Amino acid sequence: MRPLPRIDPPLVNASGILSYPEVFAAFEKAGACLGGYVTKSVGPVEKAGNDNPVVVYSAEGGAPVLNSLALPTQSPEDWEKDLASLRLQRSRLIVSIYGGTPGEFARVAERMAPYADAIEVNLGCPNKVPGEQTIMESIGQSPAVSGEVMRLVRGACEKPLIAKLSPNSDYLAVAEACLAAGADALGCGNTLGPGLAIDLTSRKPILAGTTGGISGPALKPINLRMTYEAYARFQCPIVAYGGIATWRDAAEYTMAGACVLGIGTAFLGKGTRESAGLTRAIWEGVVAYLDGRPFPDLVGEAHRLPAPDLTHA
Amino acid sequence: MPEMARVLENRRESPWTHTLFFDREVKCAPGQFMMVWLPRLGEKPFTLSYPNAITVKRAGPFTEQLAALEPGDPIGLRGPLGRGYPLMRRPALIGGGVGIAELRLLALASEKPIFVLGGRTAEEILFHEEFRKLGPVHVATEDGSLGAQGLVTSLLPVQAPAYAVCGPERMMAACLDLLPPERTYLAIERYMKCAVGLCGQCTCSGWRVCVDGPVFPGTWVREMEDFGRRRRAKSGRWEPV
Repeated sequence: MRPLPRIDPPLVNASGILSYPEVFAAFEKAGACLGGYVTKSVGPVEKAGNDNPVVVYSAEGGAPVLNSLALPTQSPEDWEKDLASLRLQRSRLIVSIYGGTPGEFARVAERMAPYADAIEVNLGCPNKVPGEQTIMESIGQSPAVSGEVMRLVRGACEKPLIAKLSPNSDYLAVAEACLAAGADALGCGNTLGPGLAIDLTSRKPILAGTTGGISGPALKPINLRMTYEAYARFQCPIVAYGGIATWRDAAEYTMAGACVLGIGTAFLGKGTRESAGLTRAIWEGVVAYLDGRPFPDLVGEAHRLPAPDLTHA
Repeated sequence: MPEMARVLENRRESPWTHTLFFDREVKCAPGQFMMVWLPRLGEKPFTLSYPNAITVKRAGPFTEQLAALEPGDPIGLRGPLGRGYPLMRRPALIGGGVGIAELRLLALASEKPIFVLGGRTAEEILFHEEFRKLGPVHVATEDGSLGAQGLVTSLLPVQAPAYAVCGPERMMAACLDLLPPERTYLAIERYMKCAVGLCGQCTCSGWRVCVDGPVFPGTWVREMEDFGRRRRAKSGRWEPV
């Protein structure tokens, strides 16, 4: 297995959030505390994705956030031009990829590898343009097909590979197949669902794509469980995503087994400076919680501490 | 979550422009925007021209549908979103085409504004009579049907302690070249998807227009290499402005 690149501090954006190299550069310039940036998923051919609306959220916050972008992407050639012009000063670049077939995944990975410090293989996006099949339905649900994707991607590039799983799949079986086929780390995980929201006036689904992946606070306990179970089974590097908005969320995921923490929905409504402040607050909180211990000490700690002795309670 | 409102009035401002009034007043800073949703047709950003209205130029299928709305029709509203204009004293409000509509609430909130407006013809100079009651109005039209003949830049520079510019991007870029950037604010338009800073679609040189803007200080805009040059299309592909 190849080690993940050193991502320091161990925070990244989630794929599909911020998305583009020039946004990463602006975040870095604003002092964001992100040791790595993950691109929007790069697909094999240009695709516009869903019409608007692509998000549903409650103005009060706290309620589930749904999104249904459905993997828009410029062409791999245009991504190459964009990434070739990117100059990050300190942070690592992770390129997320997808395809409609295992061979397409491999072709995209091969083209993106020269620009990437690691490749994240998107096996779990639950969104689609109405009528098409999702990656999750066609690939991410199947350990055999996911393993084939990973085998071909492994053959196509030398960079560390993160298999990003769906919480809606038999993810431990998918993870096992991916790790056996050459994945170096797991991404735990994608959005959940998809879910649905209906407008009471028009009596129709709000999202143009009808359904959308669930993110934010509603997703956190589910992907936290996924992280915990995956670490217990495989003890491999895990990049965790799902409702990380405070240092407490980050510390929980770390103790469950994550060594890199991804932020997504928590950026909702926040400008660049405010977003950078959020990343600093999360990392400073984790550092304070560590109380002088190195961060790797905390990774997976929930699995190591003995169960509390309740006999004298 | 969009909130559904009902159309109260569809007022024709010009052969191409309609102001749609709805039964909900939005508390917003001038320059903030709403995502306006027509079920199954789409959702696009519009700046408010009244606390309860947007002014729309017919330019494509979605705006054609908006312009065809009748009293009682439902219209979805999400917002207010983004950052608007700061409060300014004696600002010069520089507008081009339908961008003039965005300056209306700013004009009402400003102390002693002056107006510098441009359009292709007299009919594009929106709210002309109303603005004349608020302060001096300088107009340029490309066909000479109102005011001077020529572009809005032909009226610049004008002396003012602060400037707000809203219009087609190339017009704004030309204006910014003639104005002091540290006292100028510009409203940038981009294709938007989430409109809350998540998806990155509306980037202008890395600033997300939906949350960092749409109104930006001229000093920032001067540093934006993409301004006046390129924007991301729906797939993310670059296209010229």
